[in-house]
Amino acid sequence: MRNYFVERLRRLAPIFIEPVEDLPPADPEQVVEFSREFLRAGTPAFRVIFYAMIFVLQAICLLVRGKSVYSLPPEEADEFIQSLYNHRFTALSTIPTILGTPMYMAHYNRDDIQEPLGFDIAAMREEAAAREVQR
Amino acid sequence: MIIQPEGLPGDIRREADVVIIGSGAGGGPIAKELSEEGYSVVVLEEGGYFTREDFDFRAGQAFTRLYRDASQTVTLGMPTIVVPQGKTVGGTTTINSGTCLRIPRHVLKRWHLECGLRDISEEELGLLYSAVEEYLQVKRADPEVAGRNNILFLESAEGLGYSGGFLPRNAKDCEGFGVCAYGCPSGAKQSVNVSYIPDAIRAGADLYTRCRAERIVVRGGRATGVRGRFLDPHTGKKTYRMEVEASVVVLAAGAVQTPSLLMHNRLCLSSGRVGKNLSIHPCGAAMALLDEPLGNPKGIPQSAYVDEFAPEGIMLEGVTIPPAVMAITLPWGGRRHAETMWRYPYIGSFGSMISEHDSSGKVVAGPSARQPLTFYNLGRGDLDRLKRSILLMAEIWFAAGAKRVYTPIAGFKELTGPRDFARLARTSLNRAGVYGLSAYHPMGTCSMGADPYSSVIKSSGETWEVENLYICDASMLPTSLGVNPQLTIMSLAMRTAGFIDDRLSEGAFEKQRAGRLERLRGRLRTEKESIAKRLAGESDSPRQLLG
Repeated sequence: MRNYFVERLRRLAPIFIEPVEDLPPADPEQVVEFSREFLRAGTPAFRVIFYAMIFVLQAICLLVRGKSVYSLPPEEADEFIQSLYNHRFTALSTIPTILGTPMYMAHYNRDDIQEPLGFDIAAMREEAAAREVQR
Repeated sequence: MIIQPEGLPGDIRREADVVIIGSGAGGGPIAKELSEEGYSVVVLEEGGYFTREDFDFRAGQAFTRLYRDASQTVTLGMPTIVVPQGKTVGGTTTINSGTCLRIPRHVLKRWHLECGLRDISEEELGLLYSAVEEYLQVKRADPEVAGRNNILFLESAEGLGYSGGFLPRNAKDCEGFGVCAYGCPSGAKQSVNVSYIPDAIRAGADLYTRCRAERIVVRGGRATGVRGRFLDPHTGKKTYRMEVEASVVVLAAGAVQTPSLLMHNRLCLSSGRVGKNLSIHPCGAAMALLDEPLGNPKGIPQSAYVDEFAPEGIMLEGVTIPPAVMAITLPWGGRRHAETMWRYPYIGSFGSMISEHDSSGKVVAGPSARQPLTFYNLGRGDLDRLKRSILLMAEIWFAAGAKRVYTPIAGFKELTGPRDFARLARTSLNRAGVYGLSAYHPMGTCSMGADPYSSVIKSSGETWEVENLYICDASMLPTSLGVNPQLTIMSLAMRTAGFIDDRLSEGAFEKQRAGRLERLRGRLRTEKESIAKRLAGESDSPRQLLG
């Protein structure tokens, strides 16, 4: 992943992944690291579309809000992202969907995020080891 | 033994009786059957080999290691549909939910009447199913570990008068860790990687992992071997060459890769049916916000079903998902996404599977054999059925006490009660308005039939055009099954193994004398005895299979 996209992804992560209640906030480095692996393992087509969407998101924001998406205040950025998700034109609602896929997966793949949500991987791994099934 | 590319000294040349491309629901059973008959068998698998110790509960890691293209495989068309496929030893069986359903009787009848496949009789198929079910220890999901999500939905459906129950699965002693789709962490699920493949290896078969078949060698109209390349596990780049000379070649790479390989090799194309006739079981989902915590995702993800609407082509099946997958399924982002995810323990989910009637799809050769293109358009009737299935799930969730139901339909992402429900029921959907649709079970792209002009393979699994080239995976199924296909693929694989055995042992008096059905009955008896022995003794550790 080129540095340009790494930098953009770092700045997009907190826009897409808002802090909530007691859950730890987004870790942009972890999001970038996971996205890098996810894109590397995936199809070339998805990779190209993902990178293109970073440009398209910025272009639409400049056009509609007159500002860069990275410089919008948090509430306005959230409103902008929601408006795209809810847009009746599929082409527009697809933009945040594609960008969000690796970012959300990265964030909610973290043990410290999953555990407070009731998905305690360490405990389950221990239990699975104790309950190994032989054929 | 299982041979991984890391330990190879250089290019490999092998001879074998049978070479099998793919180690999933089709390739695994054939490898076991034929190696136990004493044939030398080589299996080539493009994915890696992982055991229960490697399965770590995390969706992210599973997607990048066990799924083809990190689960980014999509169909092109309206709407775009994600079709996840496994790429690991065991194929998609390693990452499926373990559901084992037999072919519905009306589908088999259609095969007989429309495809001329009368020789696949109900009796023979029944015997094959019994043998596979016995081998995989198939039984109904245990309600104790079915998961609150599924129990609640099932109770609510039954309260509305809809028929349903617990699904038969190949997971003995399952404790419901809820992560079937990321590899079973306890080894309970009897997917091909822990059942057929280890038994094939014990019987002498060799399996090469991270080896991509590229060329099917044909001489004088007869398949004589396979050439391929090993892949670097870290970079995916090609490394050493692999060449296997064999009397029989079995293509079992799945309904997308199998036709792609045939097209790139320009084989079996004269009927014009290779890659055509794709069906994929489009799936809808309805998530519901409830008052009680459901203990997600603990419990068997796909333990319950509602089959009241199966005659219409709608099957409702359970699906519980871990946070990382729910996060990419929600139809919004930012603050609203975070707030919904915070309520994860209270969110139930269920899925629907549509048996296609008027949709159409095909696989065409892409820029490389590895990247075929899949086109699929959801038909009007199937779109209506999809909407109806989502409405049914919403109705059942509301009856279960849901406060809100989340759907994948634009404009109806959140239903809050009867008014929204009625509004959605009145609305005519357009295909672009369905969000994040997924589909499973691609099939039909090298369909079998009695007519060489309208099918790719005979009912024996052998291609009409190339002698000794057999196809055995979901691509051979001539129509959409309407149910999860792994049991049918495995049963037909056993059947195909019988034909290959006949071909390889032509002239052997004993085998010719005993009819195929009689041999099947014999196998069923042997299977029962070997399971009894296995239960009494100890199994090998998966690591002992590695070379």
